[in-house]
Amino acid sequence: MDMSSINLTLKIWRQANSDALGGLETYNLDGIHTDMSFLEMLDVLNEKLTKEGKDPVAFDHDCREGICGMCGAVVNGVAHGPEKETTLCQLHMRHFKSGDTLVIEPFRSRAFPVRKDLLVDRSALDRIIQAGGYVSVNTGGAPDANGLPIASQQAELAMDAAACIGCGACVASCPNGAAMLFTSAKISQLALLPQGQVERKQRALAMVAQMDVEGFGNCTNARECEAVCPKGISIRNIARLNREYLKAVLSEG
Amino acid sequence: MWFVRFLTSSIGKKLVMASSGLLLFLFLCTHAAGNATIFMSSKVFQSYADELHSHPLIVLVFSLSLLAIFLVHIGVGLYLFNENRAVSTSRYAVSTRVVKNSLASQTMPYTGLFILLFLVVHIFGFTFSPKTVPISVTVKELLGNFFYALFYILAFAALFLHLSHGFWSMLQTFGVNHPRYNEFIARLTLVFPLFFFAIFAGIAFYFMTGLGANY
Ligand code: HEM
Ligand code: SF4
Ligand code: FES
Repeated sequence: MDMSSINLTLKIWRQANSDALGGLETYNLDGIHTDMSFLEMLDVLNEKLTKEGKDPVAFDHDCREGICGMCGAVVNGVAHGPEKETTLCQLHMRHFKSGDTLVIEPFRSRAFPVRKDLLVDRSALDRIIQAGGYVSVNTGGAPDANGLPIASQQAELAMDAAACIGCGACVASCPNGAAMLFTSAKISQLALLPQGQVERKQRALAMVAQMDVEGFGNCTNARECEAVCPKGISIRNIARLNREYLKAVLSEG
Repeated sequence: MWFVRFLTSSIGKKLVMASSGLLLFLFLCTHAAGNATIFMSSKVFQSYADELHSHPLIVLVFSLSLLAIFLVHIGVGLYLFNENRAVSTSRYAVSTRVVKNSLASQTMPYTGLFILLFLVVHIFGFTFSPKTVPISVTVKELLGNFFYALFYILAFAALFLHLSHGFWSMLQTFGVNHPRYNEFIARLTLVFPLFFFAIFAGIAFYFMTGLGANY
């Protein structure tokens, strides 16, 4: 066997639609090139299934370069697979061995209904953003870039938080299905910058309220989220969210 | 109302857990300090206990507050446990924990319940013991029983595990997380539980083995 090609057994969650009862199906896939990405491996499987006249596996994807947040599945129990700080699209098959069995399941949470196979509805995260993850600029032209000085430390921390691509792996890996890491990143990126100050308290209250309404679980500081986050978002942001929320709830409205 | 909104929110409930946990932690500090006098001699311990109970009003107020704190901590803890269980049962065919040493965080409700069982036994054994027998004698008698003392030691092991996640978790919930101090906090999260284990389990061991019987 060629060193750069592997044979795999895949067990993939197949589910026709949100109401259907799903289950794991087994596929044997031979001759997978180790330079392929995980999604390309799934492309090969889908091509094979299509030629056999079967329904291809539905999965989300877009940029395939780790920046859009569309892709994601749970591989052998780990969201985005075994590589640290790597999205599923940037995970390469060289990290697997010939003969491996890969169990591939959708990102699960009470707030993420499965639409089809590996494709889940993550619009709950969008609604958390809509509740307050923005700054309102109702008038005037774009301000001068240097008009608003920001300390470099502050800018760095805000940028670290802004690296979140909204993939939902934190929710999928959390034993409680909590969305704290996502929400904390979205709140931090604005709370750390001068532009975010005016709506700071309202934002914390509204986004946490929306998070709770969507049916995400309660954080128990299990830290699984930061361990699988493809962008290395730290739970230091969750500590900041807790502070932001406490300040807001004690002094606002 | 802001207070209701706070208490019904996910972060609010978490903060209630952390605040009651902090108060329980502070209680443990005073309880450990008082009980450690038994290592000096049963006489010193007895005079500590007599002094404490010569202020019945203070004892009453403190006992009732402590009861309330326990009820809040246990009540909200079990409520959260139940809410989270609804989300998390059999989500995946394969589930892997990526975080190493997650035993303590995974077993919080169970170690907590074991501590609760211990509390019931402990309060019936000591708080409601016959007032005619000096407390230092009751301690010797009860902990002189091998299985009674063993149960105590197991309960303190559960407390150790509970706090080896709880102490750090409490600070994280209060928003204390900074790279400069995280190493230090991690160390405290080992040192404090170990300290409690050494004192409390030490007392049980002291009488279980008969070492303390004649002092
Ligand atoms: C001496 C007794 C106890 C002490 C000192 C103590 C202390 C703590 C502390 C400091 C926390 C962390 C709070 C946070 O992260 O927000 C905690 C969490 C918790 N405790 Fe206790 N506790 C005690 C007894 C109990 C008992 C009797 C139960 C019974 C069920 C219990 C159940 C829990 C649960 C479920 C959590 C939540 C875990 C989490 O969300 O991370 N504890 N405890
Ligand atoms: S915090 Fe990390 S894991 Fe969660 S949505 Fe953002 S990028 Fe994905
Ligand atoms: S497809 Fe865009 S991050 Fe993976």
